[in-house]
Amino acid sequence: MTLFHGRWSRRVSLLAAGALVGGERAAALAHVETCAACRAELAAARDVVALLERDPVHAARPPLPFGALLARVQARVTEAEEARRPGAARWAKVAFPLAAAAAILLLVFRSPSSPPRVPAPSAAPRATVSEEALRRLERSAARENAVRYLSEAQDVLVTVAAAPLACDRKRARVDVEEEARRSRELLSRRALLVETDRQEMAGARPVLEDVSDMLREVAALDPCSRPEELEAIQRQMSRRRLLMKIDLMTRELQG
Amino acid sequence: MEPSDRDLMGRLAAGDREALGPLMERHHLRVYRIALSYLRDRDEAQDAVQETFVKAYQGAARWDGSAEVAPWLARIAVNHAIDRYRRGRRRLKAETPLDDEDHAQRIAVESPSPERRAMDREAGERITAALGGLPDRQRAVVVLRLYEDMNLDEIARALDMSLGTVKSSLHRALRRMRVTLAGLRP
Repeated sequence: MTLFHGRWSRRVSLLAAGALVGGERAAALAHVETCAACRAELAAARDVVALLERDPVHAARPPLPFGALLARVQARVTEAEEARRPGAARWAKVAFPLAAAAAILLLVFRSPSSPPRVPAPSAAPRATVSEEALRRLERSAARENAVRYLSEAQDVLVTVAAAPLACDRKRARVDVEEEARRSRELLSRRALLVETDRQEMAGARPVLEDVSDMLREVAALDPCSRPEELEAIQRQMSRRRLLMKIDLMTRELQG
Repeated sequence: MEPSDRDLMGRLAAGDREALGPLMERHHLRVYRIALSYLRDRDEAQDAVQETFVKAYQGAARWDGSAEVAPWLARIAVNHAIDRYRRGRRRLKAETPLDDEDHAQRIAVESPSPERRAMDREAGERITAALGGLPDRQRAVVVLRLYEDMNLDEIARALDMSLGTVKSSLHRALRRMRVTLAGLRP
C-alpha cells in the first residue's frame, strides 16, 4: 500500500489545492474513493487550504489611499528617469521634489468624489501658489527624500548587521555583493536625495554623515568578504547606535 | 468605454505615464495582496506595490503582448517580494501578525462576534508563522496558487520553474503546513 499510496500522495495534495483539472482530477477523485489513506490525506490537506482561505490578507488594503500610492509611483518613475538622464541631476534636485510634492498636494485637496486621475508629475500646478507655500512644499519634499535615503540605507545596513549568506563555505566568506552595490548606488544618489545644506536638515546632518560613512565602508567591501570585515562594520554600527539613530531621525523627519 | 489592459500597456510602452493610473487602479489591490501574503508586513507590501508598478512601467516596452497583464504583474510582484524578503530576511517581522485593522476588515464581512474575531486573529498569526517556515519558492507557489488562484502553468512561468517542480513544491508545502497548522480548525 505504501508505494502505491506514495504515488498518489502528490496528486491528492494538488486535488485539495484545486490544481487538477479534467481527466487528472477525475482520476484522482476516483482513486480517493477506493483509498482510505488518501481520503484522510485529502481531508487534512483541505483543512490547510480552508485555513488559508480564512487568512485576513484576502481582504487587506494598502495603508495609503490609492491616490497617494499612485503619486508615489509617478514620483519614483520621474526619479528613475531623471537619474538615468546624463547631466540632469541638478534639474532633478529641484524639480523632482517639487513635482512629487505638488502631485501629493493636489491629491490631498482633491474632492473625494472626483475621478481618480492624477496630473503628470512634470506638469506645473496651475493654481497660483504663494512663495511660502512653495517653500513649504520644498521643505516637505526635502524631508521625504531624506527619509527615503535613510530607509534604503537602513535596509542595507540591517542586512550587513544580520550576517549575510555564506558565499564560500570552505573559505568561510560571506556574500555582500548586493549590499556593496546598493551602498555605492545610494552614495551616488545621495546628492540628489539629501540636501544637507538646508536649514531644516541641520538636525539630521550628523546621522546622515554617520550613515554615509558606514555605506562607504560597505561599498568598499569585497563581494565575497571575510566575516571579520563585517564584524568590524557591525561593531562600528553598534558603537554609534546607528540603527536606533536612523529610526529616531526618520520619525523626527516624518513629523 | 474603458481601455483594456492591452491598450494601457501599449500606452505605457510609448511612455504615456497617464496610463499608470487606470492600470494601477485595476490591479493594485491584487498586487498588494500577493506582496502581503508573501511578506506578511503591510509597509513592506506597500513598498513592493510601488516597485512592481515602477518596474511594469520601465518594462512595458519589453512586455510580450501574447501574455495577459494580470499574471505578468503577478510575476513581477512575487519575484520582487522574494527578492525583498531575501535581502531583508532578518529584518522582516515574519512572525508578526497582521494588525487589528486587517482582521477587522475581514471579520466585518464574515462575522461580528468577538469569538470569531479572536479565532480569526489566531488563524492569521498561525498562518503567518506557517508560511514563514516554508522555503522561499514553496511559499511563492502557495501564494500564487491559493491566494491568487493561478494555474500551475502560470505559476511555472511566473517563477521560472518546471511544471513538475511546481507540483512538488505545492505538495511539500501543504504537507509541511499540515504539521505547522495542526490543531487549528478551519
